[in-house]
Amino acid sequence: MILGTSPLRSGSRERVLGDTRFGADQGQAGDLYLACVRIHKAPARIDGIDPAPALALPGVVRVFTAADIPGVNRLGIIPVSKDQEFLAEELVRCPGQAVALVAAETPEAARAGARAVVVKLTGAPGVYDMAEALAEGAPLVHPGREQGNLLDLRVIKNGDVEAAFKASAVVVEADYTTSMIEHSALETEGGRAWWEDGKLHVTACTQNPHYDRDDLVRFLGLKPEDLVVIQAETGGGFGGKLDVSVQPYLALAAWHLKRPTRLVYTREESFLSTGKRHPFRMHYVTGADEQGRLTAVKAELLADTGAFASYGLAVCMRAAVHAAGPYYVPNVDVTSRMAYTNNVWTGAMRGFGVPQVALAHEGQMDALADALGLDRLEIRRVNALRPGQATITGQVLKGGVGLTQCLDKVEPIYRTWQAKAKGDDRFAEGVGLGVMYYGIGNTGVSNPSTAQLEWTTDGRVVLFTGVADIGQGSDTVLRQLAATRLGVRLEQIDLVRGDTSRTTNAGATSASRQTYISGNAVMAAAENLEALVLGEARKMLGARHQELVLEDGMVRVKGDPESALGVTEVVRHLTQRGQAARGEGGFDPHTVPLKPDTGQGKPYAAYAWAAQCAFVEVDRDSGMVRVKEIAAAHDVGRAIHPKAVLGQICGGVMMGLGLGLMEEFHPGKTSNFEDYHIPTSADAPRITPLIVEEPEATGPYGAKGVGEPALIPTAPALAAAVGQALGQPMRHLPLSLERVMETLAGAGAKDQPC
Amino acid sequence: MTLDFTLNGQPVSLEGVPAAESLLDLLRHRLDLKGTKEGCGVGECGACSVLLDGKVVDSCLTPAWKAAGREVTTIEGLARDGQLHPLQESFLSAGAVQCGFCTPGMILSAQSLLSDNPDPSDEEIKIALAGNVCRCTGYHDIVLAVRRGARALRGEAPEADES
Repeated sequence: MILGTSPLRSGSRERVLGDTRFGADQGQAGDLYLACVRIHKAPARIDGIDPAPALALPGVVRVFTAADIPGVNRLGIIPVSKDQEFLAEELVRCPGQAVALVAAETPEAARAGARAVVVKLTGAPGVYDMAEALAEGAPLVHPGREQGNLLDLRVIKNGDVEAAFKASAVVVEADYTTSMIEHSALETEGGRAWWEDGKLHVTACTQNPHYDRDDLVRFLGLKPEDLVVIQAETGGGFGGKLDVSVQPYLALAAWHLKRPTRLVYTREESFLSTGKRHPFRMHYVTGADEQGRLTAVKAELLADTGAFASYGLAVCMRAAVHAAGPYYVPNVDVTSRMAYTNNVWTGAMRGFGVPQVALAHEGQMDALADALGLDRLEIRRVNALRPGQATITGQVLKGGVGLTQCLDKVEPIYRTWQAKAKGDDRFAEGVGLGVMYYGIGNTGVSNPSTAQLEWTTDGRVVLFTGVADIGQGSDTVLRQLAATRLGVRLEQIDLVRGDTSRTTNAGATSASRQTYISGNAVMAAAENLEALVLGEARKMLGARHQELVLEDGMVRVKGDPESALGVTEVVRHLTQRGQAARGEGGFDPHTVPLKPDTGQGKPYAAYAWAAQCAFVEVDRDSGMVRVKEIAAAHDVGRAIHPKAVLGQICGGVMMGLGLGLMEEFHPGKTSNFEDYHIPTSADAPRITPLIVEEPEATGPYGAKGVGEPALIPTAPALAAAVGQALGQPMRHLPLSLERVMETLAGAGAKDQPC
Repeated sequence: MTLDFTLNGQPVSLEGVPAAESLLDLLRHRLDLKGTKEGCGVGECGACSVLLDGKVVDSCLTPAWKAAGREVTTIEGLARDGQLHPLQESFLSAGAVQCGFCTPGMILSAQSLLSDNPDPSDEEIKIALAGNVCRCTGYHDIVLAVRRGARALRGEAPEADES
């Protein structure tokens, strides 16, 4: 039994020994070191770059500017919105953008060179507020762009919200905001580039080696076969390692100088130059009938993409699709807008806009329950989407809908805490709920994965996958699936992963998609390999009409225990004929693109569901929120590796706690962990992770995904719990000491224009 | 001047170490011991934790010269003769390793705690490890791993402590 057990995860022994070589650990003697010249005030026009003072320093080999980029200097993860100049050409659009790159013999010389490059700049008017950016006459972040500072506008429309509000027993209206968040993967971005066999090789920490390869090929004007990307072991990502970071610099310098190059960001450079989570401003109007059944949701969402688009289009759309939460809502009017500003750019981060809208749709549910005198858990149960009902995009759910089961799991805990919660003059306790659904994979677009499995003549099976394991455990889960499907032991499966010269595209490790989509690709590869082996065995056995089965490394004829062949014998037979015992497989979830004018369609093939509750204590004297306990029930379809699922849930809850209570990145101010606090073990509550398995018919053995869902309900549950403790709703994150004290002082947070 | 110290049980003697060089740079770059990680460079994240005479320090903030005449233990020095240290074993069995970048520092920090307090409560573990940041696990399985490792180091049989 391999499925549903938790074998030791691939690579973990090397990790406890300190033997694992991450992107930041790459390098050999003789490498050149790189350093970027970054501009801290923006926007600014570049009047001139003088490399001479840097080149005069000992050890400095060369200074590159945008003019040295042989290909297309526009990077960004979505093909239609590539807009990031990796070395700025004429205009620096946000603080932290690089204008030059120094290559030197030592790290010290590279840094000294970067300081010595003279950049002449003229300041230009900028815009740093997302609402102001969309106002008439605002300075343009990308001058000449037809849509101005509006990156994207998405709508979801169904029914008649105004008529529904008029007919509702109660209508609640409120504003919500979330902060800019830094991923803070413990490993900063790092890697190395070198030439080998006439090809440029780049290894770096990444969430998507094949996308990186395509971006670098464009950047350098090469053919795909001229460049190899190998995913280095990656010390966390959370969306922050989806866009390229160090890779273009490594590749550019190595391409020009024909020498190996090395670059690792300091934490300051990582904070300064990489993407963040989009801050959102949200205005919601929600109606319900007397029983608490939702009648209509009207939501206006506004997010800040900073100076570059990155994953903005995806976040804008996904936020809109999930804006009403995991509820049946007959009338809906969602408008989601995303604005360019001169702030540091924002991109993908665990949840793609859904953690932000979850704060709002959950706040609205509590407000409705309170207005109607209903129980906060019951109102969620009443409205929870069920099989046969349609989402706000008109997608009728067939199965794999486990929200009520998640509510059942947390309900006894929630009731116990509610009964326990107390308060005195100083300390007040509160309990809150958060629920969510999350579409697995990219929104309404093709997002395929591919995989290969090869049986070797020595009885092993090699799994070839482009899936980047960034710590979540896909190496192990994909091996478990292959072993189960082929009927071999887990130890027999070897892995070739993340090398673009040996594996094919599996798409990004994002959107909680790898277990479901790449897991299915591995299953398809296994099926094809099985068919090949059985076909060959059929010939060898002369068993034209009997049913053959593959089990325990043997091919057996059903009903004839005497007739059997070892798989290795069959594999040898195949290879002697010059054919590898290799199966290829692919999977692309079935989706229907959303109509631009109504947002109707089938954005995802599968959904994950969750309910969490939080129990907090607020110190009225200091504003300190102490989280006592969190319970988190997640419908993952099928837990292939339960320990990894529980690990994802606990880690997601803790990241959600950071989003809810403490994390707030201030562009231009925040520089390192000294002024950006993420949760430590001292902040860790007791977490009770609970697995619900409502199988997804199209998933591998019923599996869906859990990576992002784990984080999404936590901040809403915390906000509700703190709100209950303080006796008023908390709608603006994070719930820092200052915000709690302001609330206690009666000031509250001012609503910002949306 | 020569910098002499003991590294993972072996004597080390180095010439020409600049006064400003950190213990982290000395380990990672001069001695190529890449098991010690740099996470922030300002002593906030604990990824660079090593033991100096058995006590945990942030090697990014510790001048290399502070090691003179002392015993430095890095993650590479914890396993002996191919035998994992009980904390390395417990981090594996508890599933406390996800991306693994914080793991070396976390294990050394835990070892430092257990040398002072062989039987810590969960709260004591959480306070002692608060200088070692992990972004993946939510600390749940790390606390479990330290509890299990502590029991193993005390020579006690494992208990059913999956919570």
